[in-house]
Amino acid sequence: MVAKVSVTDLHKSYGDNEVLKGINLAVEANEVVVMIGPSGSGKSTFLRTLNKLEEPTTGSIAIDGIDLTAKDTNLNKVRENIGMVFQHFNLFPHLTVLENITLAPIELGKLSKAEAQELGLKLLDRVGLADKATAKPTQLSGGQKQRVAIARALAMQPSIMLFDEPTSALDPEMVGEVLKVMRDLAEDGMTMIVVTHEMGFAKQVADRVVFFADGYIREEGTPEQVFNNPQDPRAQDFLNKVLNV
Amino acid sequence: MMKKHTWLKASWLMVTMLLGLIVFNTTTAHADTKEPHYVITTDTTFAPFEFQGQNGKYVGIDMDMLSAIAKKEHFTYKLVPIAFNSGAQGVLSGQFDAIIAGMTITPERQQVYDFGTPYYKTGIIAAVSPKSGITDLNQLRGKTVALKTGTGSAQYAVSIQKKYGFKVTYFNDSNTMYNAVALGNAAAAFEDDPVMKYAIKNGVKLKIITQPANGGEYGFAVKKGQNKELLAKFNAGYAAIKKDGTYDKIVAKYLGSNEAKFSGDAKENNSIIGLLKQNKNQFISGMIKTLQLTIFGIVFATIFGVLIGVLAVVPNKFAHGFSSTVIYIFRGLPLLVLAFFIYIGLPSLTGTKIPAIAAGLITLTLNEGAYIAAFVAGGLKHVDAGQMEAARSLGLPYWKAMRKVIMPQGIKLMIPSFVNQFIITLKDTSILSAIGIIELTQTGTVIISRNMQGFRVWFIVAMMYLIIITLLTFLAKWADKKFASK
Repeated sequence: MVAKVSVTDLHKSYGDNEVLKGINLAVEANEVVVMIGPSGSGKSTFLRTLNKLEEPTTGSIAIDGIDLTAKDTNLNKVRENIGMVFQHFNLFPHLTVLENITLAPIELGKLSKAEAQELGLKLLDRVGLADKATAKPTQLSGGQKQRVAIARALAMQPSIMLFDEPTSALDPEMVGEVLKVMRDLAEDGMTMIVVTHEMGFAKQVADRVVFFADGYIREEGTPEQVFNNPQDPRAQDFLNKVLNV
Repeated sequence: MMKKHTWLKASWLMVTMLLGLIVFNTTTAHADTKEPHYVITTDTTFAPFEFQGQNGKYVGIDMDMLSAIAKKEHFTYKLVPIAFNSGAQGVLSGQFDAIIAGMTITPERQQVYDFGTPYYKTGIIAAVSPKSGITDLNQLRGKTVALKTGTGSAQYAVSIQKKYGFKVTYFNDSNTMYNAVALGNAAAAFEDDPVMKYAIKNGVKLKIITQPANGGEYGFAVKKGQNKELLAKFNAGYAAIKKDGTYDKIVAKYLGSNEAKFSGDAKENNSIIGLLKQNKNQFISGMIKTLQLTIFGIVFATIFGVLIGVLAVVPNKFAHGFSSTVIYIFRGLPLLVLAFFIYIGLPSLTGTKIPAIAAGLITLTLNEGAYIAAFVAGGLKHVDAGQMEAARSLGLPYWKAMRKVIMPQGIKLMIPSFVNQFIITLKDTSILSAIGIIELTQTGTVIISRNMQGFRVWFIVAMMYLIIITLLTFLAKWADKKFASK
């Protein structure tokens, strides 16, 4: 079986500064992969190369067997299949909550306006915000914004979801509601790649935990392996700091 | 698919229609006649040779003579009144076929122009304010003398400048020059004998202190080696009207009467209401020209500015370079220089005439458009980068993301700048009076040249600008509200 996501020897440099120094990773369908590591370790940059928000310097990325680094690949088509959730939500402030969700499916001709609205309302219900359809993003709390952002990404009916520190910008009391939506999503069988500092979420939801440091993957395994018995000294040091506060 | 391109199609349609309108306007004048048609320039104010009569029509010795000759020789012409110096240059650049503007025949001019039969004898005289007590040129030492740009009188004054030790300053029309002297801003003015005498006769408060000097003759001029047929027609027609007495009648008609006879009742000059009534048509047509320039200018400048502004943010180095170069050049050039360059400079290079109104609109489009481009680029850059990333990550292509996500947010930030730029555009149209467009400011200049009512006329013009600006601001506020509520 072909892996859902398959990354081979990926390098990324900004000028002389190499932030990804040869990443290899394969993610199977329905798998939840959580990426942890210190700030600046390259995990967010890596996530952003997966839908080419960052252009890799060398190496290859294949999603569902489609090579993203090939010149003739229709990047827009590939992106339709990859949902992305950002740390700062990036909701469109000039549109209502429902319009945020329906914009892409309507504009890209995926759904008619009526179909898109029906789906949008369904998704809002799924993230617990059915009553906020006509609200503007500025009227929402951080946690609500992030749940709308997830619904927006789901509206394109992607087969993979990327989460870039989805709870880092939230007040602590709102982290739970977002993680719950993500957990539900995982239970429904969504393929997910999550960059996060929420170790609890990683332990409970991840099928696999990947530890990044200095532009390399230093440690990789089930949550039990990585959290209870890390082999790499950097991983031991990091986990020691984040787990024993 | 249709829906996506409607706005593009609509704006393109608008541009072609407006351009068509401009071209159409300038060509219909001679579309229905087989007689040869020429574009002839004259000065804006040089009474009794050319000045605006009632209803804004140009009259005077040159004007009546030209019209009589055209009738005799079967040709038609479009008259373009413009500052003398610009007109003289315009003939050389091919913008105009000929000039008739009380133009003295000099050896220097004969090197670049071909003159027709001399038609009027003239000399140069100096005049001062009666209050100044100056009676002779020797008393001008150290003082400033007012001259009209590009004229034979100016050349003569400069030739005696060393001898009498005066300084010089330049004006573009006779009237502003007289006023400078009458108000004491300059000590004396040099002007052609018949013109100065006529002005004094019509109430300009100046006193002549010299005998006519450096006698010369006026001639009708074309660019050297060009328009030979027109020159021959002029000479033949002139000979004919000289012979049959028409010429003498014309001269007698103007020298024998006051300007008021041609331009309206002088009593009306003493009140603002009277001035408004008497010059109603001119003010209205000046205001319409100003509004046309402003509105078309704004539309074109906005289209141009948004395009160039967007090029500054697309991820392409060539587009960035192009955009910033365009902004750098057209924002850097003074509007007046750009207008002269397009109206007088370009035609001498390409040999194609550009109607003044088109040159004016191109000038506004490029200059105001460059300012718009700068704040459009700034506004778009101000939209958080995460917005583009979020839109692209959903699969929206770049331009769709730009249009649906970035632009609506950017434009909201830009609205105050747009309102500001529209007001500036309105005011900048006044600069285009320099290339001979008779908009509101030029209307004021021309009316004053006739009635000398500087304060009242400029007051009226100022009020008219304020009224237009007020209306525009209301419109902008209404648009802002509509946009903001969306």
